[in-house]
Amino acid sequence: MEAESTVGAGQAPLPEWASRFTDNALVGWILVVALTLLGFVLLSHAASSGAPSWPAYLFLALGIAGTVAYGLLVYPFFRRLEQRLPDTQERWQRLEGRLISAFEQLGAGDLVRSNVQTRNLPDRLARVSQAASEALSQLAQQIQDSSIEVASAADSVNQIATELASGSSEQAASVVEITAAMEELARTASQIAENATRQADLARKAESSGDAGAEAVDEAVLGVEEVLKRISAISSRADNLGSRSKEIYRVLDLINEIAQETHILSLNAAIEAVAAGADGRRFSVVAEEVRHLAHRSQESVESVRGLLDEFSSSIRATIVATEEGSKEASRVLERSRAASSSISDLRHASGDTSRVAQQISLATQQQNAASDEVVMTLREVSLVVQRMTGGLKNLSTTSDRLNSLGLTIQLLAQSFHLDSPRSLKHLVEDWAQKLQKATGAAELESALDELVQGAPFIEMGYFVDTTGYTVALCINKGSAGSGRSAAAPLNLREIDMTRRPWYRAVSRVKRAALTPPYESLNQGELVFTVATPMLNREGQFAGVLGVDINVNGWTRI
Amino acid sequence: MLKSAEAANPAPPTGLSAGSHLLVQAGEYVCALPLRSVRRVLRALPVHPLPGATAELKGLAEFAGEPLPILDLARLVGAPPGANPTYPVTIVAWAGPQDGREMIGLAADAALEVAEVPLASVVGGDGGFILGEAPVGNQVVRVLDLEALGRER
Repeated sequence: MEAESTVGAGQAPLPEWASRFTDNALVGWILVVALTLLGFVLLSHAASSGAPSWPAYLFLALGIAGTVAYGLLVYPFFRRLEQRLPDTQERWQRLEGRLISAFEQLGAGDLVRSNVQTRNLPDRLARVSQAASEALSQLAQQIQDSSIEVASAADSVNQIATELASGSSEQAASVVEITAAMEELARTASQIAENATRQADLARKAESSGDAGAEAVDEAVLGVEEVLKRISAISSRADNLGSRSKEIYRVLDLINEIAQETHILSLNAAIEAVAAGADGRRFSVVAEEVRHLAHRSQESVESVRGLLDEFSSSIRATIVATEEGSKEASRVLERSRAASSSISDLRHASGDTSRVAQQISLATQQQNAASDEVVMTLREVSLVVQRMTGGLKNLSTTSDRLNSLGLTIQLLAQSFHLDSPRSLKHLVEDWAQKLQKATGAAELESALDELVQGAPFIEMGYFVDTTGYTVALCINKGSAGSGRSAAAPLNLREIDMTRRPWYRAVSRVKRAALTPPYESLNQGELVFTVATPMLNREGQFAGVLGVDINVNGWTRI
Repeated sequence: MLKSAEAANPAPPTGLSAGSHLLVQAGEYVCALPLRSVRRVLRALPVHPLPGATAELKGLAEFAGEPLPILDLARLVGAPPGANPTYPVTIVAWAGPQDGREMIGLAADAALEVAEVPLASVVGGDGGFILGEAPVGNQVVRVLDLEALGRER
């Protein structure tokens, strides 16, 4: 209403000549008649000079006919037009006022009221205006949607960038660890290569020693075989000597027996000599000598037997020794052959070990070179990852800015009042119209609470009267945090809201308004306030209805 | 039989020295047999045991075509058994008194030598078959009286 009066006061008055079309048409008719007469005079003068006179009469007739036609046809029209001109002018002034009001609403972003203003325009102008308004509404709606998507995408990008930055940081740390491990692996590979080289040398030496050892063992085997043959010969000879000694025993037994017989014979001779008396004394002496000889023979036999026993014992010991020596030589031979086989196996194993060690040395050298390349590559990767980490951090910062930009665009888009449930101004004004029907603060607060609890993206809603007092205050239980919600209502009611920017803006223009994002007093999260004026039953400004929109909640919605 | 043997074997000459003895090994003892009673020294004759005979009588042997009783000298003198003899002998001797002597065989472990035994130095003894002990050389021998053996038997 205030806008229409403003527009009417600023409208310029019509010129005088434009309001007197009929007079002007009469002047034009007089001028036409005058010009016709002047043309007739001039043509008559020319006819007096000898020229034909019929063109002057024709010109006069046409002028008279035109003057008559003008008087009969044009003048009444202009007369009627002059009579209708005030109504038309008033109508055009009303249309102009509506059009200006519509454009003012449009300029304020209130496309709903702009559409209302354009409904009474002429059809074509109304269609064009509404088409433009709808196009602008759709554009604002698309901007809102796009800004939400941009904010959401920026948030997702931010999260992804943060995760990627964290992951790349961990990756950089892992690359550093892998680099250290690869360097350690390279050092280990170098040591392995050196050890393998030494092992190859040792294996070659062992192989050479194995060759010498194999030759020595082969010679030892031959020597042991020769010793075994000789021991066998000695054993055979000892057996032969044993057999001969047995024969000697038999001879000794025979001699001993003969000596015993001689002994007995000598005793009998002595008996006979004694029996012979004096004659037998010489014979007894002989018998005694014979007995002595027999005794000496027995002693000799015993001596020989003793020697022969020793000899036989020695032979037996020799046989036993040769048998043991033969067995030992056989064992030595067997062991020597086993040792020869083992040395042969060891030599082959040493050869294999040498070759394998050489291969290991070569492989580890190649591994070392590959490890160095991997280390260099990992260092490059580390640099790339570090740069990528920096880039991701920049991306995160950029996405933050993009998110902020999306929010800004969203707020800018929300500055349009669209006939859409996504238009916060439309929503809040709709609420305001509903709440204006409430009688009393309790009913108002109850109705407001019902509306607030049904909108999860709204952190709180409140109505502030013209004195700045918060008449109604409703906190969304679904979005209220656990921190400061208990103490917040008391603080809010004690604050003079007339100094708040949103209150001042709304009370000044009497139109819905948005605030830039700010930190909520209730939960500490980012919110922005959408405020709209509320009128009393007499249509006068009664206060401001404000709702705090949680940015994250609204973006999710 | 003894009488026939006595006929075949004349009585010992009286000129024999009373101290000449044949030393024999009987078990662990060395016994001295009076040489005038000894007839022959033989390698141990094969003995045929007699059933029911005493322990001292080993059995009968053949000597000069006649049966000859063989007595175990070691058991006769009560000697502990010694080592197994290498050349056991049989001593053919006269036993019993001069008027009724018999020829017997004494199985001994070995016949050692002929030695003079001083009878005056014989001590101990039971006054019968074993006269006593007497030193001979560096050993002590048991002096036996074969005539007394005949009387005891």
